[in-house]
Amino acid sequence: MGLFETAAAKALASSGVFLFMTVLLIAAAKRISTCIALFSVQSLIITAQIIAVSRMHHSTEGFVIAGLVLSVKVIAIPYVLYRIVEELKAPRDVSSSTSSSQSVFIAAGLILLSFFAVRPYVGVLGGDQAMLAAAVALVLTGGFLMVSRKKALMQVVGLLVLDNGIFLAALTTTFGMPLVIEIGIVFDLLMGVFLMGLFVFRIRDTFDHLDVSKLRRLRG
Amino acid sequence: MTLMTNVLQVLLLILLAPLVRGVISRIKARIQNRRGASVWRPYADVLKLFRKQDLVPASASFVFRLAPMVVFTTTLVVAAFVPLLHGLALLGVTGDFVLLVYLLALGRFFLMLGAMDGGSSFGGMGASREALVSTLAEAPFLLALMSVAIAAHTASIAGMVQWTMGQNFFQFSAVHALAFAALVLVAIAETGRIPVDNPTTHLELTMIHEAMVLEYSGPSLALIEWASAIKLTVVMALLIALFVPWGMASSVSALALGVASLVMLLKIAALVLALALVECSVAKLRMYLVPDFLGVASALAILAVVFTALMR
Amino acid sequence: MVLLFPLFLPLAGALLVFLCRNPRVVVRVALTAGTLELAAIGIAVYSIHSWGVLQVGRYLCADGLTSFFLISLGLISALVLVYSSGYLRHVPEGRFSSLRWFYGLVFLFLFTMVAVYLSANLGMMWIFVEATTLASALLVGFYNTEGAVEAGWKYLIVCTVGIAFALFGTIAFYLAAVKGGVSPQSALDWGTLMAAAPGLVGGRELLKLAFVFVAVGYGTKVGFVPMHSWLPDAHAEAPSPISALLSAVLLNCAMYALLRFDAITSRAIGSGFSHTLLLIFGGVSLAVASLLMIVQRDLKRLLAYSSIEHMGIVAIGIGLGGTLGLLGALLHTFNHSIAKTLLFFTAGNVRENFGTLRMERIRGMALSLPWAGGALIVGGLAITGMPPFGLFVSELVILTAAFSTAHYFIAVLMLAAISVVFGALLHHFQHMLMGKSDDVPAQPALQASWLVVMGVCALCLVVLGVHIPAAFKAVLRGAMAVLQP
Repeated sequence: MGLFETAAAKALASSGVFLFMTVLLIAAAKRISTCIALFSVQSLIITAQIIAVSRMHHSTEGFVIAGLVLSVKVIAIPYVLYRIVEELKAPRDVSSSTSSSQSVFIAAGLILLSFFAVRPYVGVLGGDQAMLAAAVALVLTGGFLMVSRKKALMQVVGLLVLDNGIFLAALTTTFGMPLVIEIGIVFDLLMGVFLMGLFVFRIRDTFDHLDVSKLRRLRG
Repeated sequence: MTLMTNVLQVLLLILLAPLVRGVISRIKARIQNRRGASVWRPYADVLKLFRKQDLVPASASFVFRLAPMVVFTTTLVVAAFVPLLHGLALLGVTGDFVLLVYLLALGRFFLMLGAMDGGSSFGGMGASREALVSTLAEAPFLLALMSVAIAAHTASIAGMVQWTMGQNFFQFSAVHALAFAALVLVAIAETGRIPVDNPTTHLELTMIHEAMVLEYSGPSLALIEWASAIKLTVVMALLIALFVPWGMASSVSALALGVASLVMLLKIAALVLALALVECSVAKLRMYLVPDFLGVASALAILAVVFTALMR
Repeated sequence: MVLLFPLFLPLAGALLVFLCRNPRVVVRVALTAGTLELAAIGIAVYSIHSWGVLQVGRYLCADGLTSFFLISLGLISALVLVYSSGYLRHVPEGRFSSLRWFYGLVFLFLFTMVAVYLSANLGMMWIFVEATTLASALLVGFYNTEGAVEAGWKYLIVCTVGIAFALFGTIAFYLAAVKGGVSPQSALDWGTLMAAAPGLVGGRELLKLAFVFVAVGYGTKVGFVPMHSWLPDAHAEAPSPISALLSAVLLNCAMYALLRFDAITSRAIGSGFSHTLLLIFGGVSLAVASLLMIVQRDLKRLLAYSSIEHMGIVAIGIGLGGTLGLLGALLHTFNHSIAKTLLFFTAGNVRENFGTLRMERIRGMALSLPWAGGALIVGGLAITGMPPFGLFVSELVILTAAFSTAHYFIAVLMLAAISVVFGALLHHFQHMLMGKSDDVPAQPALQASWLVVMGVCALCLVVLGVHIPAAFKAVLRGAMAVLQP
């Protein structure tokens, strides 16, 4: 194994750390576009992991999936979301119900929680504990973002983070599912984001704001 | 030879500090499409101030005269604790990271005393703001350093640096990543840079450091300004030493030291560039958002400490 | 081949509809495609009945269970298409709200649901369950009012998150199968998994974890109570034909997915765990929904809570297990679909005539709208499980299952909830039927096509309540054979 491979392997083994950092940064971020960029970075880290894993397992399918994730999650979806932010011409802060420091505290708590949550399953599922914990942490913080952020677009970002977590869980435990299924999942996600973008515009047109917490006409 | 290198390190830190400041403001000027002052300007400022008369307000006591000297001395001592070219420092005792934090705090305490002793309302206002920021910054500062100390199994800064140098460059540890993030935030608050404080403003609504030194003049002001320049450089050197020490000399030979100083110069240049870029693209926080900013640092630092236990 | 027709006909229908510009042509194309789809499903069901399991390629497969659910899908979707042809005369202006979009999206929605039923692969099934949400979200927000947009957004977000958990569960199932020695390429095929299930006991903990996630995920789509928040909004704000499709077809679709996972889990690690979980979800949904029905003020929200209640009953049936429990559950999905379709059609009719769905503003339907009033009475009696309608039979079967397996608490809960629902519906409906309306609708609009669809619904309910036809019995037997090999 050459120097490059050693370096790459070492870096990937600890890439869970980078994922934690992106999660914390998203929690601290104040602007929607920052969150979108961070999501893109997060997906890029996951793409790198897919490539590394498929190299280790000598699977060509893995490279196809990596290309797919790269084009959809790293480029297409962030681009679409950026365009939506641009076109909405609405205030661009995330309008959180918790301050950034509270959010970071909560995200930190969720990361710790996920470490303890995966501990009993590390033996059963196999895979690296930090990576598995990162997957659970992504799911949890995605959920937290969806609950605490009031802007409709931030709920989409939360959902995407959550989805990244599930994708990562699949990657670390099963080294990917059959190719057709993976393609279908990514395609569904892309369509979902398009549709949500469409609804964001409709919410703005019908309500004149994007604050989801003010949508309370339907109750009970 | 080792002793000479250690002394050389401290001298470098002290003498190059105004240059670092000058370079930062030059880069910022360039980014903002101005020509900017010469990079040697801070030296000229300090020299000029030393030649001027020292005016003391009539209501001030001896504390007003004493404060600048204490500030300068504590900063000098702090500089002696930080390894720059190789994994050793002039001073180094077990647990010195705590000492470092509190020496900085001592300097700030005297600066606040001096500011209040000056008797102007701006001094008191700046002092109270400084007290708020430094109180909030202290916990994350200590915790972040402590997490590195726990990971390195040593409580001296030089020891931590040597331990990190022995680690694989590509093996990122969560503890270090988190502690680094926390320390960067703390360093910004500690050295009074944007977005916590703006070193170039004299706007009464926002200034912290400048409000405190408003009554000082002559040699006293020169000492304070020089001390704050040293503090900035020392904190940068501390960040580099703790988190990216690779490239430091492992043996004390002329060649190794030459390479090490070149590498160190590059690292500081990179940090300076990053700082200038951040300061140009970020707006200063409103005062009541500063606790939030340092809260983020605290959360990161606490997480770093907890991770030392998890990563075992 | 037989399976490709019912699958791709709706897709072709959607394409054709999108190509047409003239509204009249759109309606005609839609009705034709709907009829063809019904015929194709009929043929598919017949061939499944005569040849057993049909498999097309790696990813499509149909067995007895599929054919049972396809029947209700075909029947309801045909009724909905006929009803819509008369209902959608005044389409509001706006992006994505035109007749073309309506029918195009309905056919896409149908395509995704047929695809869920025909998926041989659990991953494929997940993809299409998610696709049902995407296809129907715009339909829920079709009217472009504040409420409709809000309901559409909520539906999209809540269901996508829920379904994401189901993906996690599916992955865990896959992992358990691979660890249990199934080859990775076929480890998501339902047939393979069912055959290999007894060998998966080793992954007990993993399968339990997986089933919890699947139950929460698909349970969101079914409308189990803690995750039900999207359901009343979506049902109430969607156009009435879409409410019927959501309630009578989509919920079954999600229940079908849950049923498949439950079958594998029960076979692998015994039925104790998954069935208990379903009983809890079912019981809570039943109790909460029946109580909330008392306080509803909007007719369609009332019907939506009733859907949650009935899905709870179905979950209880599956959770009780055994021949009786499963039989009752399957029969109940079918009966509920038809009764709910009838009621949502009636609600659409009420809205057309009174211009509102607030129940306190609707009076004197028995006099001013005799046909709609009659339909409301029939639907109301049927949905509360009165004889001689089909739901009486299926609820009785589930209750018998509860008593015979000594689940007395569940049985008592069910009886209590059904009585509460009966009281609530009696209270609401008598208010709407009796008295004199302050603003009598100027011209009670009534269309022949509506009479036909409502008549068909009522007829089905009565027939299933009195005597189950032999052909239907055969289909039911086929479905039971799949679940209890």
